[in-house]
Amino acid sequence: MESSSIQEPFDLIRLSLSERVFVKLRGDRELTGILHAYDGHMNLIMSDVEETIMIVDVVDGAPAGQPATVNVAKRKMDMLFVRGDGVILVSPPVTNIEPDCQYTFRQMYCL
Amino acid sequence: MLIFSVFKTLTDQQVTVELKNDLSITGVLKSVDQFLNIRLDNIKVLDEARHPHMMAVKNCFIRGSVVRYVQLPSEHVDTQLLEDATRRESLAAVKR
Amino acid sequence: MDDTTPPPPPEEQTPPPPPPASHTGSPTDFLKGVVGKRVIVRLTSGVDYRGVLSCLDGYMNIALEQTEEHVNGVVTNRYGDAFIRGNNVLYISAAETI
Repeated sequence: MESSSIQEPFDLIRLSLSERVFVKLRGDRELTGILHAYDGHMNLIMSDVEETIMIVDVVDGAPAGQPATVNVAKRKMDMLFVRGDGVILVSPPVTNIEPDCQYTFRQMYCL
Repeated sequence: MLIFSVFKTLTDQQVTVELKNDLSITGVLKSVDQFLNIRLDNIKVLDEARHPHMMAVKNCFIRGSVVRYVQLPSEHVDTQLLEDATRRESLAAVKR
Repeated sequence: MDDTTPPPPPEEQTPPPPPPASHTGSPTDFLKGVVGKRVIVRLTSGVDYRGVLSCLDGYMNIALEQTEEHVNGVVTNRYGDAFIRGNNVLYISAAETI
């Protein structure tokens, strides 16, 4: 049956519940925290959150895409509601992917 | 609907609402609606020096769409309950 | 103005030739065709995500695997899995033959 093989992008988020996730937001903000709830708007509730705000100063004459300085501000929050309209991307925060761990999502659904 | 319910359980608790214009307001959550519009009482602006016009304001209505974050009192949030409710809601959404 | 009706245009106009087979199909057909393939997703911010398209929905919410984030042609991040909220998507481009 075809529909059983079709999965929704939100399945990816559901599998991340109670896991630490990385969230990229509008306004050069990033969060990592434990995901506890989300809805169809991508409103999120997360705990143990660290926010990183990138403050980029581009110097005149610097090559395009090579900002001279990136200042980073960090802060921590206990329990946070994030409004979905600011969300760009959500990912389990695996920065260095082990070859064995690749394709986990596909394998899970035997795609 | 789930997140609306979460906010309803947090009425009369202290929350901090951070707006998209970087204004942060702490206050007692008096009510919330389905758009996640929020009514706060006994408010205090975090950086009053930067927003002196807010000093006299004691309560406010915040349109949901201008909210970036709401910091919640973690002791009043049952994370296990949230995760179970989220799974239930997402499965219901798939069935449509 | 002359009151005689002008001659009708010639009727033997040939219909335009059908486009090549690879260009037929609706946008939906394209999207169905790229699931499981390598794609480039460009966001309205100009950031590109290159990865394997796991799935997508009607809002163009996207799940990608083995994703690289490219800003100005430089890889700035890698994600095993990534969910992209659809409103940020400018386009999805096939990065291999479909």
